Amino acid sequence: MDLLGTAIFLAIKSLIFIMGMFLGAAYLTLLERKFAGHVQQRPGPLHVGPHGFLQPIADALKVLTKEDLVPDNVDKVLFYLASLMAFVPAIMILAVVPFGEPFTIFGIEIQPYISDLNVGLLLALAFGSISIYGVIFAGWASNSKYPMIGGLRKAAVLIGYEVALGFALAGPIMMAGSFSLREIVEAQQGMWFIIPNILAFVVVVFCVLAETGRTPFDVQEAEAELVGGYVTEYTGMKFGLFPLAEWYIATFVLSAITVILFFGGWQPLPLLGWLPIPEFLWFFIKVFLLFMFFLWVHWTLPRYRVDQITEMAWKVMLPLALANILIVAVWIIIFG
Amino acid sequence: MAVKVKYVERPQLTNRERILFIDFIKGMGITIKNFFRKTITTAYPFEKLTPPIRFRGTHAHRVKDGKEPPSFKVLERFMDIQEGESRCVGCYMCQQACPVPELFNIQTTQTEDGKKKVIRFDMNLLNCMYCGLCTEACPVDCLIMTDIYETASYHRAGTVIHMEDMTKRAVDFDTRRGNEPDRIWIDDEQRSKLWGQIKWS
Repeated sequence: MDLLGTAIFLAIKSLIFIMGMFLGAAYLTLLERKFAGHVQQRPGPLHVGPHGFLQPIADALKVLTKEDLVPDNVDKVLFYLASLMAFVPAIMILAVVPFGEPFTIFGIEIQPYISDLNVGLLLALAFGSISIYGVIFAGWASNSKYPMIGGLRKAAVLIGYEVALGFALAGPIMMAGSFSLREIVEAQQGMWFIIPNILAFVVVVFCVLAETGRTPFDVQEAEAELVGGYVTEYTGMKFGLFPLAEWYIATFVLSAITVILFFGGWQPLPLLGWLPIPEFLWFFIKVFLLFMFFLWVHWTLPRYRVDQITEMAWKVMLPLALANILIVAVWIIIFG
Repeated sequence: MAVKVKYVERPQLTNRERILFIDFIKGMGITIKNFFRKTITTAYPFEKLTPPIRFRGTHAHRVKDGKEPPSFKVLERFMDIQEGESRCVGCYMCQQACPVPELFNIQTTQTEDGKKKVIRFDMNLLNCMYCGLCTEACPVDCLIMTDIYETASYHRAGTVIHMEDMTKRAVDFDTRRGNEPDRIWIDDEQRSKLWGQIKWS
């Protein structure tokens, strides 16, 4: 009976998280479109609702009611699987992301996270890697040359950056002595991990951009050369899931993990601790700022060539991540 | 003589620029500067800009109103044109000048007293590239191009313009913008002072 209660409680909580993420992602699309518009001196969506505020809902209705074409010669199983494969792991990372300390309302203790695994970071990395298979499967299953090239490019990019990302995350783990994201935040009471881990932060920023396919690394869809990359053959909601997963949910969740690792999670910004802002709001403010930074980079920079990207992954990012491990090790020896 | 070739070195990044991503930061400075600027778009169906007077929009026929060039006075004797009708003399010069001549459908006839009358002047604007050669070829300053650019229609027949609506369009155009100095573009202040906001549709 106790087990059943826990299961129901967790199911409800997961549902709230997933629905929240869906709505959040929908409005992140609006945020991105507004930002991109104003960067290019145009207003973005303007007419659906006040200042385009209802545009995401109109878009969702449009995408859901569109005809869903499946080309004749595709590998049907992989073709259907690929869009889910890109989307589900991206949202699964939410399971281990804590949004704050447990707090009590009306005598019920509420934990603003689904689970506090002691290998949370490893699980997040693993799900992040699985969601790449969605893109590669989409490229393979479409039985068409542009998606194929896009998928292979994504694979080439990701082989390099997953390695660098893994090494870059070693620094905060060494300092916190734990893989649990909640304990990593608690270890940053006095000082954020950005201080000795600045090199790792640079590497992580580049890896997040590469993993979510944002501009300097968007070779896998490269709309000017590859039509639409791996999504060329997709239509309707199967098409909609890819950008939703990659550009919004993955970017948001990876921003959250970056904030947890380097910017002290839900701890207030320095010198602003006296403000009456609850913990999880601090967390969302930081994640929002980081997300806006990624948008800013996306709408500024042109695209790297594939060879430049892989060269940078192996020749710059990997040595930087390793150097960061050395620096952190020396730091731990000196300061304890 | 051999062609002289000058080789130019590609400017290399300095180490400082390479390590600190200086050019990334410069670019991001530009985007954030643009982000806080005012948008430069026109909310089109709600807000319409007036094109300059030399704009090459939908064609029109000037009417016989006493302001004709001398060439018309010569030809007038042979034509059956009343006051307020199109001053087209049916010379087919516009069709000769046109890169896509089949878009014109001009028919003339001889009246009983031996005069020439233009009974049909159609232009299929689907084929028109709005180059303006027809207006330059017109010897009597009849065929002109106006500032009207909303030419969309629900069916193909709607894009064919005829002599009657062309004369109306020219009268409208001349009353609106006849007194305007012939300039390529006019700044906003002067433009709004001259003819204000026009509602065409």
